Amino acid sequence: MERSSDGRVDAVKGQVMHKISNALRNFSAGRHLLIGVPYLWFLLLALVPLLIVLKISLSEMEVTSVSSMISWRQGWPTLKLNFSSYLFISSDALYVQTYLSSLKYALLTTLICLAIGYPFSYFMARSAKHLQPTLLMLIMLPFWTSFLLRIYAWKMLLVNNGVINNVLMSIGMIDAPLEMMNTPFSLMVGMVYSYLPFMILPLYANLSKLDLRYLEAAADLGANPFKTFWLITVPLSKAGIIAGAMLVFIPALGEYVIPELLGGPNTLMIGRVLWDEFFSNNDWPMASAVAVLMVLLIMLPMAIYNKYQSEQSGLNS
Amino acid sequence: MSIAPKGNAVCEDLLRVEEVTKIYDGTIKAVDNVSLTVASGEIFALLGGSGCGKSTLLRMIAGFEAPTQGKIFLAGEDITHLPPYQRPINMMFQSYALFPHLTVWDNIAFGLRRDHLPKEQIVARVESMLSLVQLSQYANRKPHQLSGGQQQRVALARSLAKRPKLLLLDEPLGALDKKLRETTQLELVNIIEEVGVTCVLVTHDQEEAMTMASRIAVMSEGHFLQLGSPDDIYEMPNSRQVADFIGNINIFDGIVEEVESDHVIVRSADCSHYVGYGMSGNSGRAVGVALRPEKILLSKEKPAGKYNWCDGEVTEIVYFGAYTTYHLKLNSGKLIKVQTLNNARDLSGNFSLGDRAFAQWSDLAMAVLTQ
Amino acid sequence: MNSNMIKWCSRSWMFAVYFFLYMPIVTLVIYSFNDSQLVTVWSYASMRWYAVLMQDSDLIAAVVLSLKIASFSAIISVFFGILTAFALNRYKRFFGRMLLSSMASAPLVMPDVIVGLSLLLMLVSMQHWLGYPERGLLTILLGHALLGTAYATVVVTSRLREMDGQLDEAAMDLGCHPWQVFSLVTLPLLLPALVSAFLLTFTLSFDDVVLSSFLSGPGYSTLPMVIFSRARLGLNPSINAVATVTIAIVTIAVIASSFYSAQQERRRKREQAQAYSDANT
Ligand SMILES: Nc1ncnc2c1ncn2[C@@H]1O[C@H](COP(=O)(O)OP(=O)(O)O)[C@@H](O)[C@H]1O
Ligand SMILES: [Mg+2]
Repeated sequence: MERSSDGRVDAVKGQVMHKISNALRNFSAGRHLLIGVPYLWFLLLALVPLLIVLKISLSEMEVTSVSSMISWRQGWPTLKLNFSSYLFISSDALYVQTYLSSLKYALLTTLICLAIGYPFSYFMARSAKHLQPTLLMLIMLPFWTSFLLRIYAWKMLLVNNGVINNVLMSIGMIDAPLEMMNTPFSLMVGMVYSYLPFMILPLYANLSKLDLRYLEAAADLGANPFKTFWLITVPLSKAGIIAGAMLVFIPALGEYVIPELLGGPNTLMIGRVLWDEFFSNNDWPMASAVAVLMVLLIMLPMAIYNKYQSEQSGLNS
Repeated sequence: MSIAPKGNAVCEDLLRVEEVTKIYDGTIKAVDNVSLTVASGEIFALLGGSGCGKSTLLRMIAGFEAPTQGKIFLAGEDITHLPPYQRPINMMFQSYALFPHLTVWDNIAFGLRRDHLPKEQIVARVESMLSLVQLSQYANRKPHQLSGGQQQRVALARSLAKRPKLLLLDEPLGALDKKLRETTQLELVNIIEEVGVTCVLVTHDQEEAMTMASRIAVMSEGHFLQLGSPDDIYEMPNSRQVADFIGNINIFDGIVEEVESDHVIVRSADCSHYVGYGMSGNSGRAVGVALRPEKILLSKEKPAGKYNWCDGEVTEIVYFGAYTTYHLKLNSGKLIKVQTLNNARDLSGNFSLGDRAFAQWSDLAMAVLTQ
Repeated sequence: MNSNMIKWCSRSWMFAVYFFLYMPIVTLVIYSFNDSQLVTVWSYASMRWYAVLMQDSDLIAAVVLSLKIASFSAIISVFFGILTAFALNRYKRFFGRMLLSSMASAPLVMPDVIVGLSLLLMLVSMQHWLGYPERGLLTILLGHALLGTAYATVVVTSRLREMDGQLDEAAMDLGCHPWQVFSLVTLPLLLPALVSAFLLTFTLSFDDVVLSSFLSGPGYSTLPMVIFSRARLGLNPSINAVATVTIAIVTIAVIASSFYSAQQERRRKREQAQAYSDANT
């Protein structure tokens, strides 16, 4: 008895569901919803905000709403554009220098990470197979602990009365504390420390897949280990090198927290300038203009990377 | 290879595909105006090289793709626009597509539960399927805990559990290694026949199609080249493409010299062919004469008569164990293959490289290819 | 150069890198047990700063706020991440697909300061027009959810890519309506990816300082904001204590989960081997 009523309910439910699904199919509402909802989400939170930044960068300090930028001339809306922020940035030596030094530090970070990370990834990929998961986990573990706390730890180590100086003085290697904090040195230590895993992971992923037979073939053809390394291993891991470099260079360029905590007054970086323009000077158009130029700076390596990737996929297919 | 017709008692048409065309992205014509009927109880094979559109045709029957043109009927009902979950058709996928998060038991019960069958009926059906494919003791395993052959049987059981009117098999043995394939082929046919389900299968392997199907459609570039029983297609290919695709074959290019109701004479560069059956068309027409290597007899003496023999030099001998293939270079420079069974233990009568040899065959051994 | 020397070189190089990565963390933990007010001058071991931590109401409020924001943000991120990944994975061509995929990856490449600034300016304009929302928990949540969605999309997409596309069709073939395909097949198979997406986005939110600083209003300080403001002023023993607590929690969780997954993997391999040997006997 009970089963049959259950069965009927199920049948009715099935029919209703069926009708709904048919409706969904016919109007392809499911498809519209599935595409539309995330679209709206990102449009509102990713694209519109960037457009607003662009808009504000082109307005004067007091003007911060769209309506006041559009004037009505003979019935036609006309956009008042104001390039004063950009003119100021490009004429001010300090800003130009900041952009250049950001580039310099990001590039330096990338190169040092590569110099440390490449041999490391190579050795890791060649180490015993059963050890590799653990070695990999040890590289990823710091990811899960707060970035801020790890930077703070370096501050503790590097300040004048910090741990390193204390240890060196107590064993008598130095008489006076080394000036490490608030210098380009402390900045680079913090940057390399934070971004090294981002270099190691793609390199390791690439090198661990490298077919050892190529190396054997090269050795068989008479290349010595160094030649083999330069002529076979390095070119074959190009994709890993490029991926790692992108993962380090781009975030390093816009870094704010590390220069703020470990850098000094003369280690200029754009992220910090943007922050100061916004929070200290309350100059929104200027902060926006700095942001727009920063985006342009980042788009350049991205575009090169995308071009490289599409070429690669073209080669593969 | 002579095979008795397989499949169960054949009655009326179950599946009818009418002038179906599928065009992808407005340009790629995957299936081109194909029509076919499959009788109830039949095992029908779509055979063709990769990219010829056989999977597309199967997927249209299953309901995963909609035809650009044409109609599909199942038991007289138009199912062209029915979604897959409303068709009484089940498919066994090439990758098996077993649900990795479900046990063997739950995989087989999956389709039955969607029909809201009473619980006892589901249990009974699953148990009978498990014993059909001899996997009862593996009911509680997950798919990854099974070997490839066992996974294939679970996939089969799952697609049979709902007792579909039509079973579709997409490259059913494609994922198995060669040794397993041969035993599995027969097992599969036995199970299908036991259940008595009508079946359409897709394969690129001609031996698989020959051993499993009662009828075969040879496909190329979206259309059917030939449709017939396995021995029809093997013995009487209707075109060079089919002849080339199915097994090894020698083709002599020639001109028809004489056409009668009971025989045809074709003249090629190396010999005259007397074909023991008639054909339509006039003399003077260019045709191909197809001749299977195993139908040729090799001898050292010149045969009597003027038809159906030629001579040449043995240029290569390939020993396969059960048989040996000789490559014969004819006087015109044409190469033909001859296969002889090694049924004598003493191989002294065989040929060696550089020997002159005569090849002869009977007047029913050839097929005339007009296209 | 013989192979022993190469081995020695590689070992010491790897050791040096691990030393570089872990030395600051270990120092941080050790000095959290230093009784001295001066963080880096060791006096004697004590739990003094943990006791102080218990009394620090600012810090405790910040932890509570951070936990709240991180949980909500992770849930929202995973939800929108699923939608975005499905839209991009299932529909290969629709109007503006390119735009959606670049918008979804923009937060991954944009520096935090730009994401923070742009969201803030958008929210300010919105408030200007609609009088809503006030800056506070909700605005921080939006920022974190945006960043989290971008990461969750990557995680879910990579799982969807490696899933057998025929599974959906098999489900439909066996009588599943489209939403049943999702709930009975796709969702259970996605579950591990959803769990890792949740953990990742939770951690991202719990760690973020830049977005929160731009988007928060008076009275809303997340834990990283409190730590950052103290760290800017100098060394502070309370930070060491907080650090040690979080590092302990994270380390235990990560090690436990990796042991668990390694065990699962071993079991899976064993069972697979068993299946093949069964089949062959
Ligand atoms: N979803 C699709 N979109 C576009 N083209 C397709 C699609 N599926 C198949 N094709 C094309 O249709 C043709 C036939 O494919 P298919 O039926 O899979 O061949 P087969 O199974 O015989 O190897 C091929 O050229 C293939 O590239
Ligand atoms: Mg196919």
